[in-house]
Amino acid sequence: MTVIARRLGGHLARGLVMILVVTTISFVIIRNIPGDPLLARYEKLIEQGMSPEQAERATAVLYGFMPSGSLWEQYLDYMSGLFRLDLGQSVSMPGAQVTDVLASAAKWTVLPVLVGTLLSFLVGVTMGVYAAIRRSGKLGDVLAVSGSLLHGLPQYVLALLLSAIFTTLLPILSSGGTADIMVEPGFNAAYIGSLIEHATLPIATYALASYGGWILAMKSSVVTVLGDDFILAAELRGLRRGTVFRYVARNAILPLFTILALSLGLLFGGAIFIERIFNYPGLGLLLIDSITNRDYALMGGAFLLITVAIVIANIAADMLYTAIDPRVRSGEGGAA
Amino acid sequence: MVMTSVKAPATSGRRAPGVRVSGLSVVYRTPAGELPAVSGVDLELVPGSITGVVGESGSGKSTLALSLLNAVQPPGRISAGSVEIDGLGDVVRLRGEELRKARGRHIGYVFQAAQNSLNPLKTVGKQLLDLGRSHDVADLRALVRDARDLLGRMGMDGARVLDSHQHELSGGMRQRVGIMLALVLNAHLVVLDEPTTALDMITQANILRIVREVHEERGLTTLVITHDLGVVAEIADRLAVMYGGRVVEQGPTRQVLGAPRHPYTQGLLRAIPRLVGDIDEARALPGRPPTLGTIPATGCVFRERCPLRAEICATAEPRAISLGESIVACHVAEAGAGPEGRTRQAAEARKAREEHT
Repeated sequence: MTVIARRLGGHLARGLVMILVVTTISFVIIRNIPGDPLLARYEKLIEQGMSPEQAERATAVLYGFMPSGSLWEQYLDYMSGLFRLDLGQSVSMPGAQVTDVLASAAKWTVLPVLVGTLLSFLVGVTMGVYAAIRRSGKLGDVLAVSGSLLHGLPQYVLALLLSAIFTTLLPILSSGGTADIMVEPGFNAAYIGSLIEHATLPIATYALASYGGWILAMKSSVVTVLGDDFILAAELRGLRRGTVFRYVARNAILPLFTILALSLGLLFGGAIFIERIFNYPGLGLLLIDSITNRDYALMGGAFLLITVAIVIANIAADMLYTAIDPRVRSGEGGAA
Repeated sequence: MVMTSVKAPATSGRRAPGVRVSGLSVVYRTPAGELPAVSGVDLELVPGSITGVVGESGSGKSTLALSLLNAVQPPGRISAGSVEIDGLGDVVRLRGEELRKARGRHIGYVFQAAQNSLNPLKTVGKQLLDLGRSHDVADLRALVRDARDLLGRMGMDGARVLDSHQHELSGGMRQRVGIMLALVLNAHLVVLDEPTTALDMITQANILRIVREVHEERGLTTLVITHDLGVVAEIADRLAVMYGGRVVEQGPTRQVLGAPRHPYTQGLLRAIPRLVGDIDEARALPGRPPTLGTIPATGCVFRERCPLRAEICATAEPRAISLGESIVACHVAEAGAGPEGRTRQAAEARKAREEHT
């Protein structure tokens, strides 16, 4: 469909500009964080009695490079590297390419967050429908109250609670790392079991933390649609219950798809607290470490990844809406 | 015209059914207890006629319309009475699948034009197919063909409309789609709830013409709910006036509008502004219609606003009596009071009708 193609093209162009702008801003901010690790090392070497040339060479040997150009030159260098998907080398992990470091950390964030979010979306939306249909009964009250409670609890409090309960009070799950270090990594039952055991608490936290939002959003959406004229009209035309239910569900879930797409965009950046608490080596933990170590390249790479993810999620949300809502598809404004 | 009450197979050639509403009461559950929205309504729809029901907001006319499909929405419920439809039996006693299948196939319901009676996410054609599948229509192609013909009959490009979503149609087009969906399964009893409200005058006239023509071509029994006396004057053969959940006057349209017997009907006609003459001649009915909670429990529901109020009106509810071709529920009309006053009012009303049509 040309409308969709044109829309996608526009989005991609705008997204690219957005990414460049954000990258520039984060580049400037990162370079202005006090405490340059290379400079610190360099000055230390000079204090130890080296000549500036020697110190520069020693630092370069240690880190594989030594920044010498002005900020402007560094910026151009960085941006041109960006177009070759070269994000530079990590400072805190000498010799490692930033892209490799990010890629290896990303899977530990993406998988648990994805599983947790989808799980809570499915359960929350289903429960939301029940909460809406039974809204005048006990079940509806229980569901709505549980939703409000969980929605009101901050993610990190939930993480601490779960951690305290399941690893200390009732030690049935382990936390820290992705798997037991005593288990031989590989495609075997013990390793996979250990992986699942370690991922359970982070996934449960993601799921529980967003479950409340889904149930409340779906409930109010269903209640609104149930009151719509076309549902009564469908009943008065004698449509089957199942058909009427599909009318309700499809109309009610529409706004939630947008929230889902957007929340998947936060997938890469929203896990900092939880990964810290469970000591789970994903992107969040990587970002914290890179900031502590003043690892510019890694920080920039992590920010870039978060930016790209959010931009893509926004585009995906809009395209999804275009695909499922005919009113948007033929809508006049492309700015929706 | 008598039809057997034996249930005919749904697909056999059907004729316009007669409808007899007797003693129908509908109550709504509120914090203050169950309050009556419709009480003891008797109404007969003559087969093949167009009956208009007029009343102000809250008079119970829409509730009455929904009762014909046994579709009063909670917290309301039908508390007494029956709705006998030829070929269906007492609709009030229908439940579950039987009721669902009666809706759409036997009784078509057309929503107010301003309401969105179509699923915004599906094309009209897909909703038509949903309708067909829900009623086990074997030949869906024929159904689509019928729908296209009906739409064409109403002056629209059927193929294009079936391919459209609701938001691509104008109010008048939506209303014709609503009529199509009510008729496409060959229902012979059609209920139109405020069919022209919120439409502009020209579209309104078009829709009324279409209703009239389709009614005659397909041999329907039609019930039109409206607050607009002009609408009923234009298309209805018979007219029922509702006030406070009761039918206060009913009869042939000509009779009711030409020689109104009930002071409420008379007041309604007096309130219509004239195209010619002094605008001040139009006199609004004093007071306001009762709401669910303020309908008097005893006596006549209209007495608070009635210029002819008598002692008895506060204590006894007026019986429905036949006066000529009309049925009227009014103590004063029953006592035959004020003949000269009535003549004057009748003349005024006749003038009103002539100017309105």
